[in-house]
Amino acid sequence: MGPEISQFLSGMKKTVEQVVIPNLTDRFAQEQAGIVAATLGYLETIHDKVFHYELLENQLYKQLLASVITLIENDSSSSQKLNTTAESLKQHFKHDPSDENTALRAYPFIRASNEVMKESLCDIIQEQPEMPKALRDQFETLIKPFFKDIELRERAWVKGLGFDSEADQLPDIDELLYRDGKLALP
Amino acid sequence: MKHYTNTLAQRANPDEAWIQAIRKRFPVENAIDEVFTRKLHNRNKSAEHSMDFGKLPDSLSAFIKHETQQDDILVENVHRLSGGASKEQFTFDLTWRPEGEKTPQKQCVMLRMDPTESIVETHRVREWQTLRAMHGLVPVPKVLWLDAEGKHLGHPAMIAEFLEGTVRPESKEDKMSGIGMYFPPELRDVLKGQFVEILAKIHHLDWKKKDLSAFDVPESNSTQANQWALNLWQRAWEEDAIHAHPIMEQAAVWLRENMPVVDNPVIVHGDYRSGNFMYDDNSQINAIFDWELAYLGDYHDDLAWATLTLFGGVDEHGNGLASSMMPVDEFLDSYEQLSGFKVDRKRLFYFHLFSYYKISVIAAATSVRVAYGKKTHLDAMMNLASGLGYVGISELNRMLEQT
Repeated sequence: MGPEISQFLSGMKKTVEQVVIPNLTDRFAQEQAGIVAATLGYLETIHDKVFHYELLENQLYKQLLASVITLIENDSSSSQKLNTTAESLKQHFKHDPSDENTALRAYPFIRASNEVMKESLCDIIQEQPEMPKALRDQFETLIKPFFKDIELRERAWVKGLGFDSEADQLPDIDELLYRDGKLALP
Repeated sequence: MKHYTNTLAQRANPDEAWIQAIRKRFPVENAIDEVFTRKLHNRNKSAEHSMDFGKLPDSLSAFIKHETQQDDILVENVHRLSGGASKEQFTFDLTWRPEGEKTPQKQCVMLRMDPTESIVETHRVREWQTLRAMHGLVPVPKVLWLDAEGKHLGHPAMIAEFLEGTVRPESKEDKMSGIGMYFPPELRDVLKGQFVEILAKIHHLDWKKKDLSAFDVPESNSTQANQWALNLWQRAWEEDAIHAHPIMEQAAVWLRENMPVVDNPVIVHGDYRSGNFMYDDNSQINAIFDWELAYLGDYHDDLAWATLTLFGGVDEHGNGLASSMMPVDEFLDSYEQLSGFKVDRKRLFYFHLFSYYKISVIAAATSVRVAYGKKTHLDAMMNLASGLGYVGISELNRMLEQT
């Protein structure tokens, strides 16, 4: 396969920066062309990690939600909505089970599965005010470290976009995705 | 983009039942409901936003003739302005006879117009009424004409006088307007007092004596103002997000459970920070911009927004500055002295968290949604802005950890 995507992107970026922008006279057009060049530069740094980012999230959500389902099922006072969400998640895991085969799936399958899991987790979060205190405390204990991981991963993912004053102190996304040259699966 | 779930499919092509359900779930002020609902109806039918403004001079000319009843007006030199993330902005030279003048005069004026879908969906009549209410009290451009529903210009728009001035000193850094700006110390010394004083004046406006008919008045000594405000942003998230996000959901739960009472609502500017004011050659602030998010609510909302770390730059020693101008404590002390209002730190924490929630809605959800639909004049920028959104979500999580 060639040329590589990074080659396409770097070629376009150079052309926009060195040919297009210097010959633009309109300030609005210059500003927009600068944004296009910056976007191409950013894509160069992340394009080959998109699949693994989603795959890692897929595994992490499955792990978390399996624990959440157990929590809900072990609490006899769980609301109807919580039980319904837990049941639909169990159905979903028949469609996308926790095994190594997920890595063989096409990107849209993984992306769709992740979205289903994210929406389900959000549904459960919305139910917190109705949860008994003990259940809510246990649920919060589960989600706090999970949120911290999301925070770090997302911030590392977008640091190349130039909005983060802490960018220099943040890890590169590679450091969070990979361990010993392999995807850092849980 | 594929519609991976039913929710994502509804957001991309909302049906009437989904629209009505979301309206019922998130009660907001009537004018806000009007523009949000219009956005959803338009999402189904309108195509990409057109960047061609070739017909704009003729439309402007016809509109101003209609408004002034002057057949000999002249519209020339229509130019698109750079910047302005939420609205398309143009300047043009207008030859006309202002009220009381017998001879035609040439004046530079500004057009501020909704794109097909905006990074923030706001109501032009509200912005118009706020600018009129503020005129003479704080520095704002004089508004001239309003096309509230876009009947004449194609999109809702208003025309105001154009003021010359500087928004930010020259810099190699070219971030989104107002993010991490730098003012040299001598400029900060002159601007900072004005910046606080103007905010105090805004909050002291006797809004009951002004025509603010496009605003719903919240009950005093209740949470109603904050409920409407949170509903607005949560509704925007629910309508626009391109993926579900558990931290955003957790933040919404916290904001609802910890909502403070507003004793006496004031006019909240809604976007008061560096980047949204301009100063003249004598370093005097001569215009406050972007009133589109104004509402009647808690003054702590403006204080939180103006002191947000994300917007503030740093001084020469790396110390953080509120709105790139002064240390946060100095800003708050100065505000207390000039306004006579007490700053409640617990309330400020609530509104800092709410501020990050708003930024995250704007930049991680709505900006990506409008870029996905190619609905703005700045689609490339809107994609890039998602970076700000995820920094916002990260800051949100850090604050939630402190609760």
